[in-house]
Amino acid sequence: MKDIEESLRRAMRPVEPPQGFAERVMRALPERTAPANVVPLSIVRKTPAVAAWRRFSVPAALAASLLIAVFTGQHVATLQAEREEQAGLAASRELMQALRVTSQKLDLAYEAVQRPAPAPPAEEENRS
Amino acid sequence: MKLESAQADTPLLLDRARRGDQAAFAALIRMHQSSVFSIGLRMLNRRDAAEDLAQDVFLQLYRKLDSIESIEHLGFWLRRVAANLAIDWLRRAAYTRGTPLEEGAEIPAPQADDDPLMDRELLRLLGELAPAARAVMVLRYQEDRDVAEIATALDMPVNTVKSHIKRSLTAMRGKMIGAQLITAEELP
Repeated sequence: MKDIEESLRRAMRPVEPPQGFAERVMRALPERTAPANVVPLSIVRKTPAVAAWRRFSVPAALAASLLIAVFTGQHVATLQAEREEQAGLAASRELMQALRVTSQKLDLAYEAVQRPAPAPPAEEENRS
Repeated sequence: MKLESAQADTPLLLDRARRGDQAAFAALIRMHQSSVFSIGLRMLNRRDAAEDLAQDVFLQLYRKLDSIESIEHLGFWLRRVAANLAIDWLRRAAYTRGTPLEEGAEIPAPQADDDPLMDRELLRLLGELAPAARAVMVLRYQEDRDVAEIATALDMPVNTVKSHIKRSLTAMRGKMIGAQLITAEELP
């Protein structure tokens, strides 16, 4: 009995490619995988100094920024304190001046109060 | 290098090819070129397209040599890539059906029990199958692979592979009977 599966196997026996196929493939290889186009890793790879710089540059920049911010803050705070101290001294001087003026005014007022009143005119005494 | 001795030393060849030995890679091509070219020929029905496909497969192999684990893996890898590439090409309609095969070029050398008319008709019917079904039939009857391996190679469930085989055989038998190349009594 003729089996169609056996017929298929027979009809589909592998066939050889045209002569020189392997050679054509081999000739095509260098075009796609030419070693000359491959850049050696040693060139691509970063030198230790560059690699270390690339690795630590961002943290170093952050640390520097932080230090600058701290010192600037301290300087501003010192200036502010000096400014406040000067203002305080000026205020103190003004206060002392004001107190002195007030004291003088009070002295004058006190003297005026202590001074004996002038005698009334005689006409007025007769009328009463 | 003789093919027989090359086959005996295939693990060594693979190792040498991985290390950049071009002669070893050429030997690997010669060992597998018939299988890969025939997959392309049965799938695409054109010798020029089959040669292009086979060349593409071997160039891909050259780039992926480091990922090939063993000789068995090499054969499986080549069949898988060839079949899937052919399906892709067919789906992109670059190599659609209808182009006549070159006279006598696609039929293997005749043997004693050959029936050239039957063979030609079977190959014509094979060319009428959908790309996935055709790939299943090629791997099953040309490459003599089992359904599990075909399923893995084509990334489809085993039952789908079985279904493709059954439906394709039924369709081919029906058309062969219609063409009076076989009779209903000859069905298994």
